[in-house]
Amino acid sequence: MPHDPPPDRLLSRRDALCRGGLGLGWLGAASLLDAERADAAGSGLSLAPRAPHFPARARAVIHIFANGGPSHIDTFDPKPALAAYAGREIPANLPTERRTGAALPSPFKFSRHGESGLEVSELFPSVARHADRLLVVRSMHADVPNHEPSLMLMNCGDARLVRPSAGAWVTYALGTENQNLPGFVAMCPGGYPIKESENWRSAFLPGAFQGTYVDTKKRDTADLVENVRHPVLDHDAQRRQFDLISQLDRRHLAARPHDPALEARLASMELAWRMQSEATDAFDVSREPAHVLARYGDDVQGRQMLIARRLVERGVRYVQVWHGAGQPWDSHEQIEANHRRLAGECDRAIGALLDDLVAHGMLDGTLVLWGGEFGRTPTVELPAPGTGVSEPSGRDHNHHGFTVWMAGGGVRGGTVHGATDEFGFKAVEKPVHVHDLQATMLHLLGLDHTRLTYRHSGRDFRLTDVHGRVVPELLG
Amino acid sequence: MLRTRLPARIWARGRLALGVGMGVGIAVVACCGTSRPAGAETAPTVEDLHQQFFESRVRPLLSTKCQECHGDGIAEAGLRLDSRQALIRGADSGPVVVPGKAAESRLLAVVRHADDIAMPPDGKLSDDDISVLETWISAGAPWSGPGGDDDTSSPAAGPVDMQRRLEDALRDHWAFQPLLRHEPPAPAPQVPPEWAHSRIDRFILAAATAAGVSPSPAASPRDLVRRVWFDLTGMPPSAAEADAFAAQPTEESYEAIVDRLLASRHHAEHWARKWLDVARYADTMGYAFDSQDKRYPFAWTYRDWVVSALAADRPYDQFITLQIAADLVVPPVPPSDLAALGFLTVGRTFLGNTNDIIDDRIDLVTRGLMGLTVACARCHDHKYEPVTTADYYALHGIFASCQIPEELPEIGPPPPGPEAAAFAATYAELRQAVTDHEAAVRSRAVREAVAHAAAYFLEVARPAVRGADKRPPRLADGYELQQLIIDKLTRLVGGQTERHPILGPWVAAASGSDAEVPSRLARLLEADAASQPAPDLNAVIRDELVSARPGSLAELAEAYARVVMRIAPDWAGGPAVAGDETDDVRAVRELLGAAGTPFVVLETEAMRVANMAEQTEFRRRQLNITKHQAEAAGGPPRAMVLVDRPQPQDSPILLRGSPSRRGDVVKRRMPMLLGGAEVGAESSGRLDLARALVAPGNPLTARMIVNWAWTHHLGGGLVPAPGDLGLRGEAPAHRELLDDLARRFMDEGGWSLRWLHREIVTSRTFRQSSAAREDLADRDPDNRLFARANRRRLDWEAWRDSMLVAADTLDRVHCGGRGVDPLAVESMSVRSIYGRLDRQDVPGLLRTFDVANPDTAVHVRVRTTVPQQSLAVLNSELVVNAARRLAARVQAEVADPARDDLRVDSLWRAALSRSPSAEERDAALAWLAAEPPSDASAFGRYERLAQAVLAVAEFQFID
Repeated sequence: MPHDPPPDRLLSRRDALCRGGLGLGWLGAASLLDAERADAAGSGLSLAPRAPHFPARARAVIHIFANGGPSHIDTFDPKPALAAYAGREIPANLPTERRTGAALPSPFKFSRHGESGLEVSELFPSVARHADRLLVVRSMHADVPNHEPSLMLMNCGDARLVRPSAGAWVTYALGTENQNLPGFVAMCPGGYPIKESENWRSAFLPGAFQGTYVDTKKRDTADLVENVRHPVLDHDAQRRQFDLISQLDRRHLAARPHDPALEARLASMELAWRMQSEATDAFDVSREPAHVLARYGDDVQGRQMLIARRLVERGVRYVQVWHGAGQPWDSHEQIEANHRRLAGECDRAIGALLDDLVAHGMLDGTLVLWGGEFGRTPTVELPAPGTGVSEPSGRDHNHHGFTVWMAGGGVRGGTVHGATDEFGFKAVEKPVHVHDLQATMLHLLGLDHTRLTYRHSGRDFRLTDVHGRVVPELLG
Repeated sequence: MLRTRLPARIWARGRLALGVGMGVGIAVVACCGTSRPAGAETAPTVEDLHQQFFESRVRPLLSTKCQECHGDGIAEAGLRLDSRQALIRGADSGPVVVPGKAAESRLLAVVRHADDIAMPPDGKLSDDDISVLETWISAGAPWSGPGGDDDTSSPAAGPVDMQRRLEDALRDHWAFQPLLRHEPPAPAPQVPPEWAHSRIDRFILAAATAAGVSPSPAASPRDLVRRVWFDLTGMPPSAAEADAFAAQPTEESYEAIVDRLLASRHHAEHWARKWLDVARYADTMGYAFDSQDKRYPFAWTYRDWVVSALAADRPYDQFITLQIAADLVVPPVPPSDLAALGFLTVGRTFLGNTNDIIDDRIDLVTRGLMGLTVACARCHDHKYEPVTTADYYALHGIFASCQIPEELPEIGPPPPGPEAAAFAATYAELRQAVTDHEAAVRSRAVREAVAHAAAYFLEVARPAVRGADKRPPRLADGYELQQLIIDKLTRLVGGQTERHPILGPWVAAASGSDAEVPSRLARLLEADAASQPAPDLNAVIRDELVSARPGSLAELAEAYARVVMRIAPDWAGGPAVAGDETDDVRAVRELLGAAGTPFVVLETEAMRVANMAEQTEFRRRQLNITKHQAEAAGGPPRAMVLVDRPQPQDSPILLRGSPSRRGDVVKRRMPMLLGGAEVGAESSGRLDLARALVAPGNPLTARMIVNWAWTHHLGGGLVPAPGDLGLRGEAPAHRELLDDLARRFMDEGGWSLRWLHREIVTSRTFRQSSAAREDLADRDPDNRLFARANRRRLDWEAWRDSMLVAADTLDRVHCGGRGVDPLAVESMSVRSIYGRLDRQDVPGLLRTFDVANPDTAVHVRVRTTVPQQSLAVLNSELVVNAARRLAARVQAEVADPARDDLRVDSLWRAALSRSPSAEERDAALAWLAAEPPSDASAFGRYERLAQAVLAVAEFQFID
C-alpha cells in the first residue's frame, strides 16, 4: 500500500508512460478508453482499480444501514424464553443507555424459511424468501450503548477518534471499476443520519475516497449528483463549448510536454464529459422497465435500492443505503408499530434487490450487509423525564448482543453464526466484535486488514486499529 | 503442509526432552552433583534441556507473537515479555505469570481467550503454542540467554528504555540537533553569476552539481510574474502589470514587485489561509447535540487576527506565543490580541469530551507547530519517538488546567449603527434566561440533595457496588445520588477525626460495625460528661444524638440528615435563618449548609448535577445566545479565549488512554525532549509551553516553519512530509540549507515571515522554469534537487479568487468579519478565506478541490486530480456565474458589438493576464462566428466563450 506520499510527489502511472516516450499519444480518441481505465486521478492515490492482496470473493459492497438500531429480537434472533418472563424481571438485565425493566417478548411471529429453515420474523417476508442465501450473525457486539460512538465504530472502526470510513478504506485499497462514477456512494433519503457525513468520511485519506452523499429523496437525477448537468446549456451547445476548451488546452499542452499533472487535468476533462451522461444514467431509475420498478416499489426505499443495484452493476465499489435521516430505527417506544412501519418501508425493496442481484448473476461478487449500529434490549425501556418516553412499549439500545446479516460476496448462506443468551441480551456463543466483522468483510474483498494501512502522523493506521480477526466460519 | 506439521513434531520432541530432562536432573542431583567434564559425551543437564526448549519453542513464540507490543520500549499495558524479570513483574494491572503455577498465570487465560483480554490481537495462538507456554510456566518459566535474570544488558523496565531512546534520539536524530549556520559551498567559477548571490542558491546549486545536474533556466518574465503573484497573494496579476514586467524584467523591478506584494493585505490573506489549515480552522464545533447550535459565532475573530498579524509581520515567535498564551504574556497585550487564542479553541468539541478536546490541542501544538507526533502517547509510550505517556499527560495537565469562560470577552466596540442597542438588550435578556435556569436547577438539586442527605452519608461510609456503567446508586424513590456531592462529602469527611466537633461522631461510628454504633457514640457523649478531656462536641449535634439515640449507622445518618435539613438554605427547603442563631448553629451551617458545602452546590456547578431534561434546557437557552450572536447585527466582537482555571491541576496518566483506569499523577511540565522543565504551581503552564516552543534551544519550531514555507513556495519540501520531523520522517535532502535558513530566519530575520518569504522568492531557485526536462525525469523524478520549478494546480481558494478577479467582482477592501457562504452568488465580492466553513459539512465542491480536513493540523494539502473537479469547471453555478460577470465586463470594456476581436483580447487579458496569441484569437473568433445566436435571457455567445476561457487548464495552473 502506498504511504502518505508528500502531495507534490504523487506520480501518475501515465507519468511513466510519458517518460517512456509515449508522450501525447493517449490524447487521441482511441486511447481515451485506456485513460479511463488507467488513471483518472493522475496520482499514486488514484481511483484506478487496483489488485487486492489476494484473490477476492466480493468486488463490491452494498451496506444497508438500518440506522438507529433495529431490534434483533423482533427480526432475526427469536427468543421464545422471553414469553415465560413477560412482565417480569429477567435474571440478567445489563446496563444500557437508559433503564429498562421487565422482559418484553417480541410481538412478531417467527417462522422457518427455505431449506435451511432459517428463522425470520413476519417483519421481513421478502428478505425471508432469500433465507438460504443469508448468513445471520447473531453474536455481534459493540462497545457502548450510544448511537454516535457505535456509528463511528461500525463505519470507521473507532468510536471516538477521527478515522476514515470502511468505504473510504476500500476505495483507497481497490480503487473503483468505473471512472465515470464515484467509487463510494452513500445514499440517505431526506438528509443526513446521526453523525452526518462523518459516517462516510475519508479523514486523513485523500478527499477523493470520501463517500459521495446522495439524497435519494430527490427524484431528479440532476439534483442527485452534483454538477452533472450544465445549468443552462443544452448538450449540443455544451459540446461546441467543450470542443473549444479542448482545442485551447491541446495548444497549451503542446507547449508544455511531459507534464503528468497537466495531462491528467486534460484527461479528467474528457472523463467528466463522459461522466455527465453515465452518472445521469446510473441514477435515473426511470430507465428501468415498469415491472422492475414495481417490484422494488416506487417509493424512496424502492428507488434507492434500485439505484444501489444500478451503481454496483456499473462498477461502483462501495454503496451505503441508509434508511433515512436521523435514526429511524431507534424505537424506544411503541416498538410494535414503529418496527412494523420501518420494515414495511424497506422489506420489499431489499427482497427485490436480492432477487435482481441473483438474476443478474451479481450476488456472488457483491457482499450485501444489513444491520444497524447495535440492536435493542429484550427488556422494556422505562419511561423517564427528559427521554421523551412516556410509556413502557419500546426497547433501549443494546450493544451487548445484536444481529447483522450478510448475503453474497462469498459468505456461507443459509446459516446462523453465534448466539445471544436465552433472552437475547448478550452475545455468548462465538461472539463477533464489530472489528471482526470489518476484518472479515475486508477479507472477502481480498484485503488483509492488518496490511491495509496508511501512514499518517508518523504512524501506520488501519480500519481495525490493533483489533479484529477474520471469522473463518463466516466464509463460504 | 510441511510448515503446519513441523511445529507439532518439534513440540513432541520438546515435551519429551523436557520430561527426560527433569528426570535426568533429579538423577544428577541424586548421584553426585558434580558438573560434567568439558567435552564429555554425557546426557544434557536440566539447564541444557530448559535452554533448548526455551530457545527453540518459547523465545520464538514470544518474539513473533508478543514482543512487538510487549517488548523493547513499547510495553503495552506496562507489560514486557522480553526478559524474565519484566515477565515476573507483570503488567500495570498486576502479575501475569506465577512461575510453576500455570493455572494461576493470567497470561495463559489471556492466550486461551478465557479472560477479559484476548491476546494476541491478530489471532489466537494454536493449541500447540498454548501448550508450549503452559509447559514452560509449569517448569518455572526458565529463561536463558538475553533477557535472563543474569543478563544485565537488558533493562527490565519501560521507562529506562524510553530514557535510552531519548538520549539516543537527542544524540542521533537530525531534527533534534542544534540549529547551526552553515557556510554554503563557494560557487564554481563557471557558475552563472546570478546563482552566486543567494545562500539558498549556492546550496541548491552545489547539491545539483554534485548529482551531475544543472539548474533550469529562468522562467519567462510572464511566467515568473504570474507565479510570484499567485505565490505571494493567491491571485493573478492584471494583464497591465504582467505586461509592464515583461517589458522590463530587471532585478530591480522583480524585487519591487516582491516587496509590494509582501506588504499587501492580499498577501496576508493568502498566507493566513495556509496557516488556518495548520490551525484546523472551522466555523463550527462539529457534531453537536440537537439542543446545541454548532456554530462558533466568533471563530472569525481568530481568522481576522491571523490576517492582521501576518499583515503586520508579527515575528513568528510572538505570533505563536500569542496563539497559545495571549492572556498570560507580560506585559499584557491589548484585548484585540486575545483573539489569537482561537488557535486552541476553534477545533472540534467531541460532544464535550474533555480528553478528546485536550488531545486535539496537544496534537495541534506538538505536531502542528513542531512536526512532532506526541498524541500517540495518549495510550502508550510512543512507539517510535522519544515521547512517553508521562510526557503526554504532563501536557494534558496544562490543558486540563484551562477552560473556556462561559462568556467570551469583548475585544472591541460593537459595529457602529442603530442595531447595537437592540442587540445588547436581547443579549442581556438571553443571558438572564441562562442564569435563571442555573439558579432553578441549583435550587432543585440542593433541595433533593438535602432531602436525601442520609443516603449520601451512608454512601460515603459504605459505597454501594457499582454496575458496569459506574453510575452512582439510585434510591427506591427514583432519586439518583450525584457523584459531585458524593465526592465533596467524601473529601469533607475524609479529612476529619473523631474529635471533630460536628463530624466526630460520624467518623467514630462509620469505622465500626452497626452493633458498635451505640457504644462508640456513648463513648463520645459520655466522655464529655466524665472528667477526662472531652471532644468539644457541637451542641446541635449533641442534642440531636441525645434525643435520637441512633442504634445503627443508618439511624445516625438520619440524625445528621435532620441536622442538615435544619440548617439548609430556605430556598432549598430549610427554615429561614434566625437572626439570633447560636455559634454552634452557625458552625454547622458553615460546614453543611453554606454555598459550596457538599449539599449546597454552587450555581456554577448546577449543570454537573442537572438531569437530562435540565441539561437539554440549558443547552437550548445557550443556543439562543449563540444564535443571536451568530445572526443578529450590532454585537461586539469577542475572542474565543482559553483561560486558566482558578486551581491548576495535574493529570493522572490514563492507562491505555482509558478515563476509568487512572495511573500515577504527573506534574505539569514540558516533554523530556524539550528539557522537561516543570511549570509553576500557580498557572496552567500554557505560557511556559509557548516559551518552550520558541526557546533558543528548541530547533524544531524554526525547522518546521521554514520547511513549511519552503514547501508552499517551491511545491515540494526540503523535508518531504512537513508535519513529521520525527524519527520516522524522512530526513531532508538539503539539511544544511534548511538549518542555515532556519538559523538565519531566527537571527537575521528576527523570526520575520516576510523576511523568510523574501529570501525564498528572490532566489534563483524559485525563479527557474517549470518546463519538464528529459534528463531530470530519470535522475530526479521527484524534483528533490529543485533543479526546476514545479508546475502546480491552484488550490480551491486561489482558483475561486482568480475567477472573481477575472469577473471583476472582488471588493478589494473587504476586511473580514462573519464568514459568508463561499458558493453563493452574493459572496462573489469576497475572497475565499472569508468563506464560512462547517467542519461537519464541508461542501462537496471544496472537498473535491482538496481543501484541508479541518479536524487535524494540515501543513500541506493533498493534491488530487479527479473528474469531479472538471465537472465543477463545466457545470457548477460558481463558474457559470463568474462567466456571466466576465462576459458582462468584457462587453462593457469594448462597447462596440462589431469588435469581437477586441472583446476576445479583453477576455483573455481579464482571465489569463495576457493577450491571446494570433492563433488563439483566430480560434476564438471563428468559434464566435459559428456559434448560433442565443436568445437574450439565456447564456449567450460571450458567456459561453467566457466560461470556456475560465475552464482551460492554463487558468487553473501556475507554470
